[in-house]
Amino acid sequence: MSEVEVRDLTVEYQTSVGWLPAVAGASLDLRAGQITGLVGESGSGKSTLALSLLNAVPAPGRIAGGTIEVAGVGDLTRLGGKQLRKARGGAIGYVFQASQNSLNPLKTIGRQLLDLGRSHEVGDLRALIARAKDLANRMGLDGDRVLDSYQHELSGGMRQRVGIVFALVLNAKVLILDEPTTALDMLSQASVLDIVRKVHDENQLSTLIITHDIGAISEIADRLAVMYGGRIVEDGPLLEVLRRPTHPYTKALIGATARITGDVDGARALPGRPPDLTTVARAGCVFRDRCPFAVEVCAQTEPELHSFDSERRRACHVEPSTVLTGTTGTPAAVGEPA
Amino acid sequence: MIQARGITRTYQTHGSFTGDRTVHALRGVDFTLPDGGAVSFIGESGCGKTTLGKILTGLETFDGGELVVDGVELSKLRPRQREKYFRRIQMIHQDPYSALNPTRTVEATLGDPLRMRAKETGAPVSAWRERAAELLTLVGLEPAAVLPKYPHQLSGGQRQRVVIARALTVDPTVLIADEAVSMIDVSMRLGILSLLRDLRARLGISLVFITHDVATARYVGDGGELHVIYRGEVVERGLTDEVILSPVHPYTQCLLSAVPVMRGLEEPGPDRTAPTAALDERTPTPGCLFQPRCPFAGAQCAETHPVLVPFGADAVGTDAAEANVTGADVTGADVTGADATEESGHVHACFYPESRRVVGVEVGAASA
Ligand SMILES: Nc1ncnc2c1ncn2[C@@H]1O[C@H](COP(=O)(O)OP(=O)(O)OP(=O)(O)O)[C@@H](O)[C@H]1O
Ligand SMILES: Nc1ncnc2c1ncn2[C@@H]1O[C@H](COP(=O)(O)OP(=O)(O)OP(=O)(O)O)[C@@H](O)[C@H]1O
Ligand code: SF4
Ligand SMILES: [Mg+2]
Ligand SMILES: [Mg+2]
Repeated sequence: MSEVEVRDLTVEYQTSVGWLPAVAGASLDLRAGQITGLVGESGSGKSTLALSLLNAVPAPGRIAGGTIEVAGVGDLTRLGGKQLRKARGGAIGYVFQASQNSLNPLKTIGRQLLDLGRSHEVGDLRALIARAKDLANRMGLDGDRVLDSYQHELSGGMRQRVGIVFALVLNAKVLILDEPTTALDMLSQASVLDIVRKVHDENQLSTLIITHDIGAISEIADRLAVMYGGRIVEDGPLLEVLRRPTHPYTKALIGATARITGDVDGARALPGRPPDLTTVARAGCVFRDRCPFAVEVCAQTEPELHSFDSERRRACHVEPSTVLTGTTGTPAAVGEPA
Repeated sequence: MIQARGITRTYQTHGSFTGDRTVHALRGVDFTLPDGGAVSFIGESGCGKTTLGKILTGLETFDGGELVVDGVELSKLRPRQREKYFRRIQMIHQDPYSALNPTRTVEATLGDPLRMRAKETGAPVSAWRERAAELLTLVGLEPAAVLPKYPHQLSGGQRQRVVIARALTVDPTVLIADEAVSMIDVSMRLGILSLLRDLRARLGISLVFITHDVATARYVGDGGELHVIYRGEVVERGLTDEVILSPVHPYTQCLLSAVPVMRGLEEPGPDRTAPTAALDERTPTPGCLFQPRCPFAGAQCAETHPVLVPFGADAVGTDAAEANVTGADVTGADVTGADATEESGHVHACFYPESRRVVGVEVGAASA
């Protein structure tokens, strides 16, 4: 069962050259009990997609097409006003990117927590506070001190964890975390990911974690989706995607990740630059300029995201086997006995 | 060549709630950076990495120890004389958002130092535009597109690359890269790292590489030394790959254990471990600074402060012989091991050193 079903979602921003899509025709399921990792280049539309899941795309942006069905809530793109506010934070817990900067500077964390509880008509505020403290403690914070603190009294990493407490505390069924550990060092990151996984398992949530750190996501996600130029270009069970990437971008991304062991020269940067709204290809495949496998048709027709191997999807004109075994660009799939 | 000996830096802060507090940002750090060499520093947030970088560029003072640049001890010089040494040591600042002046375009940001440099070297001042374009291309930016822009019109990764280009305007001999690739796109990060490696190889620029992403420290080139800092103190040092593959200090082991393992491609190291508690700076630590969190602490650790000694030199002596490693917090109670003077070689500050394999290993490579 999917808790969230995104279908053909297109989100546009107004730019000096007109409305341009930051997310184009994206379809994605968040399944109950599973953590989905969303990785991709900076500017590929990850945060925009996440904001759409709350119907909270900021002006000058708009959801231009598609639907977002959330179990028990309905099509979010059609909700507004009070219903929408209830869904945000209530049914769907979220931490926005850089949300460490979005706490209210004038109120203590504890007061903000109470406000959150009241706005979602939580009956037992005491239990809410107790739960928040427990979550904070489990993430290596001093719960009492944190609740009594103002934002400026906490370090960047502490604020980031406070944001995660807020997202978890209302017992939402869907959890969306946008770059939840970027301000953290490795040890803190490990403890935060660990608690996210535990809370996720305890409550059988549907979780979406957005990151550019493919290593971090690989530790906790069940499924992996890869975005490039506003498109989802590949997704599937995490281990399969990592072991046998079938989209040239996924393969290049894995190949370009700095690794802690193994041959330093085995890793390669991608040639060229990531596209942004205005430079992304209008026709053909969005990745073709940087793609070592591109063939003629790539310049003309945009490849559709289609299923293969039952659980997986990819959007590429070239055969999976060609990408998998191809020696162009990065080395062939690592770690699998031939 | 830069030699740092026992650099200490202490901050006094006066909080209205917390009262007077002393922060030991650096507790005696020493290292040697040969011309064209590379040293990396890794450690948790707040362990003193940026403070060290700033001291090396003259942006921050130090209150103990010596800093010797090309044989000259800088603290003996007057500020004016010092400047000339610091000018060729450039820092790539950690936060590209605050490192660039928001009211100046990229053109202005690069133009000033380039014109100044041209005057110094006697090159035609008019050549600065070409040089600016050259530098931006070097860091993977399109000069024509970027030059007229203000910082707010650039992404985090683009800003970071402008900051790198600016550091290169004065033809530095030493680059201090403080989390220099943290915001750069994964697909381009390796490119910037290989640029740094290239600068070492082609121009003989030496590099101080500060990061909490250990994996990137492997990409700055051959012969690099890795220093692991914990609360202002170097607790382990050695060739980068040696420290990563066979760390002997429990803190290093905890830190490296926390590096995410690429599941499917890597499997966790067999000896993976974790700290037993979170960092609490209020706990007094007369012995080993890591003792309250250490999974392997023994009887000696709470009382006595271990100093850097070579790994493998059997006895960690308990005699209070004068520490050769000036970096350590030398008090009567401290102990020293045999001979820790060697510049290279694997050294650690732990009473119970044991080599453990904690980082992820490539699937299949493990059994070899
Ligand atoms: N308010 C806006 N107006 C115009 N364009 C925007 C706006 N917000 C985002 N964009 C553009 O939309 C694209 C997608 O942005 P988004 O923030 O979703 O990317 P992202 O994948 O989250 O990137 P990052 O990894 O850097 O956070 C980018 O090209 C960005 O420049
Ligand atoms: N000007 C200052 N006044 C008081 N304390 C300071 C000052 N500058 C740094 N510190 C303290 O010194 C310690 C070391 O700080 P530093 O910025 O060097 O850490 P870092 O290792 O670079 O951390 P990060 O990885 O988060 O950048 C910290 O505890 C910090 O709070
Ligand atoms: S469709 Fe073509 S250009 Fe796009 S990723 Fe596949 S091979 Fe490369
Ligand atoms: Mg984003
Ligand atoms: Mg720093």
